[in-house]
Amino acid sequence: TGRRDDTGVGKSSIVCRFVQDHFDHNISPTIGASFMTKTVPCGNELHKFLIWDTAGQERFHSLAPMYYRGSAAAVIVYDITKQDSFHTLKKWVKELKEHGPENIVMAIAGNKCDLSDIREVPMKDAKEYAESIGAIVVETSAKNAVNIEELFQGISRQIPPLDPHENGNNGAIKLGKQTAQTGRRCC
Amino acid sequence: PCHLFLKEPHDQKGKENFKLLLLLNDRFQALWNFTEENYRMLKQKCNLGNIFLNLESCSEAWKHHKTVLKQFFTDFTSESSMSLALYTVLHKPIRDHVERHVLLLTELNEALKEDPEKELVTSVIKEYVKLESFISQVLDEACFTKALWKSLGYKFTDVLCVPERRLLEDSRNLPISASTNRSDRILLFDDVLVLIQKEMFSWSLSCSLLPRHVLRIVTPEETFFLSAKDPQMKAVWQWKLNQAIRQALNGKRDFPLWGKTGEGTEPPSCRFFSYVFKLEGKFKSATYEGEWHWGKPHGKGTLKWPDGRNHVGDFKEGLEHGFGICLVPRRSEDRYDCYKCHWSQGKMRGYGICEYGNEMVYKGYFKDDMRQGFGILESTAADRPFKYTGQWENDKKNGYGVWDDKNRGERYIGTWQDDHKHGQGIVVTQSGVCYQRTFHAGKMVGSGILLLEDDSVYEGNFTEDLTFVGKGKLSFANGFILEGTFTNKSGQGLQTQGILNTSNEQLDDRITKVQLGLAEFPVEKRWKGIYDQFLEFIQSGCKEETEESFTGFHIQTSKELRKSQEYLFCQRGAEDASWKTEDILEELVKHQELASLHCYLDKALKSSLHPLGKLLKALMIAFQAAYSGIGANRHLLTMAQEEVKYYAKKIWEFYQGLLCLALEQKGQLPTNDQKACSIVLPLILPCFYPELFMLYMLYHEREDDLYCQGIVDLSLFPDIKLLEFLDVQKGTNNYRGHKGLRKAKQEMSLMVLKYVILSPFQRRSLIKDKCFLSATECLQKLITTVDPREKLVILQKTYEEIESTVSRVVEKDYKLPMDDLLPLLMYVVSRAKIQHLGAEIHLIRDLMDPTNQGGLYDFLLTALESCYEHIQRMRLHQRENCHGTHSP
Repeated sequence: TGRRDDTGVGKSSIVCRFVQDHFDHNISPTIGASFMTKTVPCGNELHKFLIWDTAGQERFHSLAPMYYRGSAAAVIVYDITKQDSFHTLKKWVKELKEHGPENIVMAIAGNKCDLSDIREVPMKDAKEYAESIGAIVVETSAKNAVNIEELFQGISRQIPPLDPHENGNNGAIKLGKQTAQTGRRCC
Repeated sequence: PCHLFLKEPHDQKGKENFKLLLLLNDRFQALWNFTEENYRMLKQKCNLGNIFLNLESCSEAWKHHKTVLKQFFTDFTSESSMSLALYTVLHKPIRDHVERHVLLLTELNEALKEDPEKELVTSVIKEYVKLESFISQVLDEACFTKALWKSLGYKFTDVLCVPERRLLEDSRNLPISASTNRSDRILLFDDVLVLIQKEMFSWSLSCSLLPRHVLRIVTPEETFFLSAKDPQMKAVWQWKLNQAIRQALNGKRDFPLWGKTGEGTEPPSCRFFSYVFKLEGKFKSATYEGEWHWGKPHGKGTLKWPDGRNHVGDFKEGLEHGFGICLVPRRSEDRYDCYKCHWSQGKMRGYGICEYGNEMVYKGYFKDDMRQGFGILESTAADRPFKYTGQWENDKKNGYGVWDDKNRGERYIGTWQDDHKHGQGIVVTQSGVCYQRTFHAGKMVGSGILLLEDDSVYEGNFTEDLTFVGKGKLSFANGFILEGTFTNKSGQGLQTQGILNTSNEQLDDRITKVQLGLAEFPVEKRWKGIYDQFLEFIQSGCKEETEESFTGFHIQTSKELRKSQEYLFCQRGAEDASWKTEDILEELVKHQELASLHCYLDKALKSSLHPLGKLLKALMIAFQAAYSGIGANRHLLTMAQEEVKYYAKKIWEFYQGLLCLALEQKGQLPTNDQKACSIVLPLILPCFYPELFMLYMLYHEREDDLYCQGIVDLSLFPDIKLLEFLDVQKGTNNYRGHKGLRKAKQEMSLMVLKYVILSPFQRRSLIKDKCFLSATECLQKLITTVDPREKLVILQKTYEEIESTVSRVVEKDYKLPMDDLLPLLMYVVSRAKIQHLGAEIHLIRDLMDPTNQGGLYDFLLTALESCYEHIQRMRLHQRENCHGTHSP
C-alpha cells in the first residue's frame, strides 16, 4: 500500500549498505539502524558522517524539523518504482527549503534502480528536478551496492570546510580537519 | 618561721620597715635552712663525727638574734639611733654569722685531706664568699641610690623614689649623653632608664632594646641614641644596660650582682608585656598587652582604648596584621560593631564578618577598612529587613548585586552605584511578575518591559507599584495587542486611548518566554568579586596564612564562627592539618589521571576546607541569592543556566591554576590537557540542581501540562491497544484526524514492526513481557540522577532495552530503523509518565557536553524530544477533535 511504500523506499538499507560495506574498523556507536556514523576520506580531509534516520510516516512529518536543525546535509530518498514517493520527496524538499538550515546540502537518491524494469519515475524527471533545486541526484541500489559510495562522496565534496574556530558538528574523536554532517533521509 | 613582732606599727614608714624586716627575716630563715642542709650533707658524706660545727650551735645563733631583735623593738624610740640600730640589729648579725661560717669551713677544709669532701667544702666556702660580696654589693648599691635620692630634687624623687628601686649607673659617674638633646643626666635603674633634661623621660627597661653596635635605645614609641666619650665607656654602658634589661626581664637580680650568668647574651628581641601608647596616632592612649618584637607589637596581643574599643588578634611590626576581632562602640547606643576580620598592615583586608550594632551583618571582603569586593549585607531589623548579595566598592554597593526587599517581597537583580540601583535592573516579585528596566540613582527611568503573571507583556513606562503611565504597548496572552497612552488617576482606575490589534492568534513564544538580563549582565561580569579573590590567592602563590583571608566564605553558621574565634589563640585542630595548602598542592599533582582526578575533584568540591570547595560554597550562596525563592522565575532561566556552566568553567580554570602552581613548585612543566574540563559540571550540578530544575519546570510549565494530559489520554489505552494505536500505518492513506483514526483502528492488525509479521505466540510474548516494561522502567530512572551525562546513558539503555525486547520477541537480532523505533519509543515514553519531561530534556540539552552535538546522544535526545512534542500535538488534536465531532 501507499503508506507502506512511503516508509519502504529503502532509506535504512542505503545507510546500512554505506556504513557496513566499508571496512571501518572503528566500531561506531549505533542505535539500531537509526543512528550510524562513518568516516570517509575526502581529498586531504577525513569526513565523519553522523547519520540520523527519521521516521518516514506521514504523522511524524511535523517532527522532522527537530531532526534536521543544525545538520549539514540531507539525503532524500524516493523509490523509482513508486511515483507517489517522488511526490512526497518534493514535499520534503519544499519543507527543507523553507524551514531547514541555510546552505544545507541536499541529495536526492532514487533507490531500487535494480528494479528499473518496473520504474515509474524517469531518470530525466529526477535530474531536471534536482537541477532546479541545486541538489545532487543519484540513482542507487542498496541491494546491489550501486552508487551508494558515490552518493556520499558527492555530499562530501559539497560540504564546505569547517571554519576552524567553529566547533559546530565536530565529533568527539579528533581526526584532523574533519567535517561532520548529519545526513537524513526522508521520503 | 619566726614571729618576731607582737604588734604591727601604724605609721607609713613603720609599715614599710615592717615589710622589709619580714622580708629580711625570711631570707635569714632560708639561709639558715640552707646552712643546716649543708651541714647534714657534710655529716653524711664525711662521717666526721661531731666536730665543732653542729646544728644546735646554728639554732642558738638565731635564737640569740631573735632576742636581740625583740629587745631592739622594745627599746626603739628615737629617730637618731635608727640607722645605727638597724645596722646592729639587721646587718651585723648576718655578716658576723656568715663570717663565722666561713672561718669554720676554712678550718674544716684545712682539717680535711682527701677528695671529694675537700672539693665540696671548697665550693661551699666559695658560695659563702660570694654571699659576702653580694651583701656588700647590695649595700653599696643601696648607699649609691640613697645618695642619689638625696641629691635629686623632690620634683624627681616624688616620681622615681621607690624602696625597691636601685641605681645601677649614673652619667655623672660614667659620662654618656643622649643624642636627642644635651641632657643633664642619664640614670640607669634596675627597672627604668631615666633621661633628665628639662623634663624627665623614663623608659621601662622591659620595653627597651639595645642593638649590637650602636647604643641605640628602642622603645615602643621612640628610638634615641646614647653617645659616650670613648669606646670603653660605651661598652660599659652597653654591658650594664644589657644586664639590667635581662635582669629586669627575668624579674630577679643576678647572684652575685653583675655575675657572669647570662653574660654576652643579648636580651631577647621578642617579649611579652603591657604598654600604654602616649604619642598622637591611632594607638594613642590605648593599652597593648601582648607579644613584642624590636619594640613593636608583633604576634598575639590585645589593644584596648579607653573608649571601650578593643582589638584582639595578630600584630606585625606594630600594626594589626592577620586575623583579629575588633569591637567598636557605636556613638549613640550602648552597642558595639564587632569586626571579625583579616587585617593587613593595620587595615582590614580580605574576608571578614562584621556584626553591626544596628542588627546588620556583613559577610564579605574588605580592603583598606572598607567593604570592597563580594559581600553580603543582611539586616534583620523589623522595620526594614533586607539582604544584599553582591559587589562593594569603597564601602558602598557598587557593581552587580542582588537586593531582597523582604517587606515588599521583591528582588532586584542588577547593577548598583554608590548604594543606589543604577543602570540595568531586573525586578522579580513574589507574585511572579517581573520587569526589566533602567534605573538612575535608585529611580526608574525610561521605559521597560513588564512580564505579567497571565503571560501578557507590557512595554513602556510604569511606576514602581506597576501602574502603566504614558505610551505603552500591552500584548495579551491571546495575541491581542493594545497600543496607546495610559493614564492612572486615583480612584478612576487605568485609562487608555489607543488601538487594539486583534489580528494575531496567539502570543509569540519569544515574548512569553523572553529571557531577561542576557545582554545586560554578561555571565563573565557576574560575581566577579568571588573569582577575583580566588585568582589573587592563586597568583599570590597560595600561602597558607593568607588562605582564609582570600577564601574565608566557608564560615557560615554562628557556631562555626565561634569556633574560628577560638582558633585565635590555640593550635588548629587535627582535621585542618590534612588540608594544609601544601598538602593540597601535593595531592593535586598526584591526581592528574582522569579517573583519580574525578575522585579528587569530587572530594575537594565537597570539602568545606579545600579552596575549590570554598569557591563552590561561595558560588552557591550567590546563585541562591539570585534564583531561589522569589528568583524562581522562568524569565531568569537562561541567566541561571549559563551561570552554572560558567561556574564549572571557572572552577576548572582555578583547578588548573592550582595545578600549574603545584607543578611549578616541583619544577615540572604543566601539561596542556584540556580534555577533562567537562568533568566539573556534573560534579557541581547537584549543588544548583534544585533551583535550576525549578526554573526549567516553570519555563516548561505549560508544555509539561499539555504533555501530562496527553499521557493521561494515552494511559486510557490498554498496552496492546496503545501499541496498535501508535503504530497505525495500514490502510489509512488519507488519515487525518479523528475519522482516519477510527478507520485505522478498524483495519488494524498488530504491526509493531514494519517488516515483521508477529505470530500469535509472539504477540502473547509481548504481553507477557508487559510490553517493554524493562525499557519503561529504565527510562523512569531519568529523574533519579542530576548529571546530564548519566541521564543520556539512561536514555541509551532505554533504546537498547527496546531493541533487545524486540529482538527477543522476533527471535533474531533486529536493528530498528527510525520508522519502527519512534513509535515504540513513544509507547515507552507515554508509559514511563515522567512528569516534567520537557524540563528534563531542556536541562539535558543545555548542560550536556557540547561535543555531543550531532552525535549519538544528541540524536537520542532529539528522538525523546520529538516524542514529547508528538504527545503534546496529539493532545491538541484531541482537543480540536472534541470541539469538532464527538469523541472516540
